Amino acid sequence: MSERLKPVWTPLLIGVLALAAWELLVIVQDIKPYLLPAPSLIASNFFGDLGLMSSTAFYTGTTAIMGLAIGTILGIVAALLAVRFSVVNNLITPLAAGLATVPIIALTPILNNMFNITSRTPRVLVTVIIVFFPMFVNLTRGLLQVQPVQLELMRSMNASPKTTLRVLRIPNAIPFFFTGLKIAAPLAVITALVAEYFGGPQQGLGSRIASSAANTAYGRAWAYVVASIVVGLLFYLVVLALERWSTPWIGHRRSN
Amino acid sequence: MSTSPSTTTAVHASGVWKIFNEGQSNEVTALQDIDLTVGQGEFISLIGPSGCGKSTLLRVIADLTQPTRGDVMVAGVPAAQAREQQNYGMAFQQAALFDWRTVRRNVELPLELQGWPKDRRAARAMELLEMVQLADFATHRPWELSGGMQQRVAIARSLAVDPPLLLMDEPFGALDEMTRERMQNELLRIRQETGKSIIFVTHSIPEAVYLSDRVVVMSPRPGRITDIVPIDLGERNEDTREAEAFFESVTAVREALRGHGGGAVRARAGEV
Repeated sequence: MSERLKPVWTPLLIGVLALAAWELLVIVQDIKPYLLPAPSLIASNFFGDLGLMSSTAFYTGTTAIMGLAIGTILGIVAALLAVRFSVVNNLITPLAAGLATVPIIALTPILNNMFNITSRTPRVLVTVIIVFFPMFVNLTRGLLQVQPVQLELMRSMNASPKTTLRVLRIPNAIPFFFTGLKIAAPLAVITALVAEYFGGPQQGLGSRIASSAANTAYGRAWAYVVASIVVGLLFYLVVLALERWSTPWIGHRRSN
Repeated sequence: MSTSPSTTTAVHASGVWKIFNEGQSNEVTALQDIDLTVGQGEFISLIGPSGCGKSTLLRVIADLTQPTRGDVMVAGVPAAQAREQQNYGMAFQQAALFDWRTVRRNVELPLELQGWPKDRRAARAMELLEMVQLADFATHRPWELSGGMQQRVAIARSLAVDPPLLLMDEPFGALDEMTRERMQNELLRIRQETGKSIIFVTHSIPEAVYLSDRVVVMSPRPGRITDIVPIDLGERNEDTREAEAFFESVTAVREALRGHGGGAVRARAGEV
């Protein structure tokens, strides 16, 4: 157990020391909250209204989860089609590469006009698009990057392409799936949050960071930032736990 | 030995050519007019330098690649049909085990593809793991095993559907010398227990001599059979590797491998 906790101790200690130094700096230099609020002020705002913090985080978290789920499903479907039919592969892959260079978050105001701005829909859509690419790219790679000798083995056993997909390609792609998900999950939170800056319902983290800052409630704005970090971290940790639980066979690669 | 294909013949290849990029400037004749007959229960090694087409020949027999010309019969039926009927098992230089399956479920794979019921294939896999002395490792993951153990799992898998023929492409090539000799003894024991016909591709002259009834010597550019050396060492045991007859056979195969080079020089000298 102590062996497993070891990697946690050092960064934790550094974090605590950094917070202490920050607090000290604010007190000694008498830095104003609009420049840099003290950690104690942020903490009192954060813990002072935990109910509001969590309901705000829950709202943005829900947008992120919805976008993540739909984007992941679309990524899986597109990757399977791309591997099964080379026509689709030749069509989607360059498209994916091209679209990946577009600053997708900039589409939000347009989507706000296209869909009902008072709903969650435009934000979920942006998140879906953001999530789709890392999922699609990683899954396609995982489905295609099988050892040639494993393909020959499948052929020697008279396996059809469909069977090869099920028995070899899909299990082979699972670690790649989690690589994609580890990129996509925190990205989904960031996107859901930033999309709120472009108007619409005001009960999310992004909206409240903006309005708190505008109302000179800097401690509160920073408390929402902390809540955002907590949500992003939570997403990442859930993915990590899912990965360890579902792919015990790549334990040896992790331990190396 | 009869030249006509029959069910008593494990493999019969006649007039097999394999030409890559035919008609283009980078045309390569990987196999030139190969005739080869392997009897039921016979152990044949294919030996030769890199690029002599020995692996290609094995792949043609396995129907993993099609010959440009010629016919290959396996157990009396065309190679493609033999593959569909699972008339052979195959082992490669890499064990090619699936990391996400336990050792036992790797051995079960061919049975699973044939639609065997769960309990029957588990029983069959355990039987095979006992034969390769890995029953204790049934629930382990492949990467927990040494290279030699992984290769034994791969051999067990190739035997799963009980095919009459084993095709082995340098299966011990990546193993250290000690493990390699142990694996050779193991393979001969399995052969004795099961009566399989075996075609074995190797780079190693002693390995080919120790294992085989006949050693097929091939040479490159174009890939062809230059000689077939019969080996008569009787029952193999620990003393075989140090016997006079063993070294004589090793020398015979080595000379057959060299013979081609000398022959070509002589031929050219004759032209002048």
